[in-house]
Amino acid sequence: MRRSARLASLAIAAPPLAIVVWLFFLPFLSSAHLSFQREGEWSLRNYYLVWRLYKLDVLYTLGISLVSLMLVVGIAILLCGYLRIVGYRPVEFLFKIPLFVPFVVVGHGMRVLLAPRGTLNSALAQAGLIDLNDPPSIAFTWAGIVVSLVWKNLALAVLLVLGAYRAVDETYLEAARNVGASAFRQIRDILLPMAAPSLVVASAFMFTSMLASFSIPLMIGSGEAPQMLMVDVFYRINYQNDLGTANALGIVSYLLAMGVAGYYLRTITVKS
Amino acid sequence: MSRGVARRSLRAALAVVAFLFIFAPVSSLVIWSFTRRWFWPHPFPQEWGLFYWKQVLQGDLFRALHSGFLIAVVVTVLTLVLTVPLAYLLARYPIPAKPLILMVFLLPHAFPQLPVFVNSTTLLYRVNLGGKFWGVVLIHMVGALVYAVWTMTAVFKSIPESLEEAAWNLGASHLKSFFSVALPLATPGLIASTLLVFLYSLDEFTGTLLVGSPFVLTLPVYMYRTSVGYELQVASIAALILMLPGILLLVLLERFLKAEYLSMFGRL
Amino acid sequence: MEVRVEGLTKRYGRVSALDAVGITFPSGALTAILGPSGCGKTTLLRSVAGFVPVDAGRILFGKDDVTQLTPQARGTAMVFQNYALWPHMTVFDNVAYGLRLRRVPERDIRARVEKVLDLVEIGQLEGVLGRKPAALSGGQQQRVAVARALVVEPRVLLMDEPLSNLDAKVRQRLRVEVRRLQKAVGITAIYVTHDQEEALAIADTVVLMNAGRVVQVGAPPEIYFRPASAFAAEFLGVSNQLRGTADPGALAIGGQRLPYAGPVRGPAIVVFKASDATLGPTGPPAAAPEGGAVLRGTLEERLFLGAVYRHYVRIEGETVMVDAPEPAEPGPVAVRVPPAKLQVYAAPAG
Repeated sequence: MRRSARLASLAIAAPPLAIVVWLFFLPFLSSAHLSFQREGEWSLRNYYLVWRLYKLDVLYTLGISLVSLMLVVGIAILLCGYLRIVGYRPVEFLFKIPLFVPFVVVGHGMRVLLAPRGTLNSALAQAGLIDLNDPPSIAFTWAGIVVSLVWKNLALAVLLVLGAYRAVDETYLEAARNVGASAFRQIRDILLPMAAPSLVVASAFMFTSMLASFSIPLMIGSGEAPQMLMVDVFYRINYQNDLGTANALGIVSYLLAMGVAGYYLRTITVKS
Repeated sequence: MSRGVARRSLRAALAVVAFLFIFAPVSSLVIWSFTRRWFWPHPFPQEWGLFYWKQVLQGDLFRALHSGFLIAVVVTVLTLVLTVPLAYLLARYPIPAKPLILMVFLLPHAFPQLPVFVNSTTLLYRVNLGGKFWGVVLIHMVGALVYAVWTMTAVFKSIPESLEEAAWNLGASHLKSFFSVALPLATPGLIASTLLVFLYSLDEFTGTLLVGSPFVLTLPVYMYRTSVGYELQVASIAALILMLPGILLLVLLERFLKAEYLSMFGRL
Repeated sequence: MEVRVEGLTKRYGRVSALDAVGITFPSGALTAILGPSGCGKTTLLRSVAGFVPVDAGRILFGKDDVTQLTPQARGTAMVFQNYALWPHMTVFDNVAYGLRLRRVPERDIRARVEKVLDLVEIGQLEGVLGRKPAALSGGQQQRVAVARALVVEPRVLLMDEPLSNLDAKVRQRLRVEVRRLQKAVGITAIYVTHDQEEALAIADTVVLMNAGRVVQVGAPPEIYFRPASAFAAEFLGVSNQLRGTADPGALAIGGQRLPYAGPVRGPAIVVFKASDATLGPTGPPAAAPEGGAVLRGTLEERLFLGAVYRHYVRIEGETVMVDAPEPAEPGPVAVRVPPAKLQVYAAPAG
């Protein structure tokens, strides 16, 4: 490449790179740095605090993400199987809607739907299914977070899984149908194994997004411990102004995300 | 013909369940936005009306809408200008340190945003951009650039290189072939990507909350505040307004929005 | 198991892929459906398998009306053009899959899979059973596909251009084997192909289709030597067509007249095969002692094809091909066709 061309490409690449490095990579490094700082000195106390105060929250975050992921993937495998084999455009369209609904709106929508005095309880009371004097609540519990994460992520899962299913040639399904495979067996024996690599990638993708979810648990989670990790980080900064511990929590969340990323990178490289 | 009946009822059941599942939270927003008064434990609001809509559109909500829209426009224009040439370079030329550049634009996807943005906020305050319009623009641009670089590079890569080689072969310069061959062919993909960048900025919450609060207010942050403050009617109206551009985009462009643009977007 | 379709009709928009097709596929015979691409032959096969719902008509397996049955319930087995061997399963699992769906005990499965793979002459069983389809040659994949179809003991075997993805040599060999196998199993087989040579070589009966309709049904020699229409004649060989007018006793092609005693009157199409014609020097009409047709023309071009030279002769504004073992020189020539090899058809209206 000629020298002038190199300079031109550098000039083109530099501004966007500078923004991302300045506002993502430097802060990323500084969170590692600050997580070892306490009152201006190097210290492991932040991590000790994370261990003492937040180890349950880490498990809680992993647990909620895992349960949500299982639900999302389980539903998507069957639903997309139906959409792939039988096909139903209106339902396919319906499941694209959550993709375009911001997380905060999902949080608020679930609040008014699932709160003790929310519209779901109103509707159920109309049907005589619950007692309004002692209304059950899904909002402000772990279940509320799970429902909201499933609602939002199912759209993404349907998009990705259906894409992977569509990449499976129709004749593979016809061959199975031809020897007598029901729709369920076609999903289990043909679509699922053939789409498995994409499914693993999609799962890892969604799992890290669930781990890192912030506005949904902020709005629909309970005000008490345990909390999702991102909410812990936010509260630590906002209410305690404790950058050190917040960053140590951040590092823990990076490690969790990296673990997942590493796992799916390994499955991909093993496969290929 | 009982199998036909079973198949049709399965289909109908699926449609009903899917519809209820998707529209339950949305319909709750609609009910609340038209509620004037709703005393528990009444199953429906006692008084309906446009009261809050009128009130809200004259107050803070309009201000948040206005500044959020302005930020989104600036972010989109800047992102487009910075990304299109870079995406083309990455798709076509063996530029120096390409793997490193791709890495810089890939990693932000793999890590949680919030703990990083906490420190980005500190950096922005240090250069006196915290709580300012341009600070919010910059923090939005991190996500917007990362998203745009990947989708737009994919768009340019999907145009066969032989089409441009044919132009070079006829004597067109690289600049000329970019404008007369690559850019026209890439336009539909670039438009889809640009619209999603706009939507991302309009919907962005985390960065705006950290960098902008309490001075720069956009609709998502306004909605969050009113919701946790139990101004449920106001928050529901804000939520509905916030959903509008996305749904509009979905309805108008459904056929053009490929999975590759959407998959990353669904996570943002 | 005799298979019969009656009045089978399938439309895609305004195009008729099948237009009231009625055929009987005799029990235990191999019937080839032959036709150009888009003639409806694959649609016919797929509607018999149940993959294509038809708009009208009936499909009967023996006395069973299967028209409304799902593919799963029909008991057909199909060999696909791309084989459609499941890439994530081993050869054994591919063949065993249909048996597992039928809840055959695992021990019997093993025996039946090995038996059917022997039948299709897959070769060393141990070397093949545990492999994935991608590790096999094209010919072996084809054998596995046939084995997977036969192992479930289907009522009807359907083959959709099963050899078209193979190279010419392998194709020739497997053709023989498909025929041997079908006779050995004694199954009713329907074989779709666009290759006339393959259809003639392999089938007991050939069904020739065009534009969603059956054009001609017959044994291969009958189809080849007595094509029922100009289309059939054209499709079944490298053949020439000339437009003319048939009168009692004579056939006019441009300014030339041939003796003619057939039944056709009015606008006609004259068809003969390139290999049936010979070239000679132009001379007086007496140069046709055996009473055949002689047409005067100009030799314009000559190609060497290996076994023969193909000559392109311009006759009355149309070009015909004549294959001969010896090359002829460009210039005026006479094309001679024995009377038995010259087919005359009424020209289709319009």
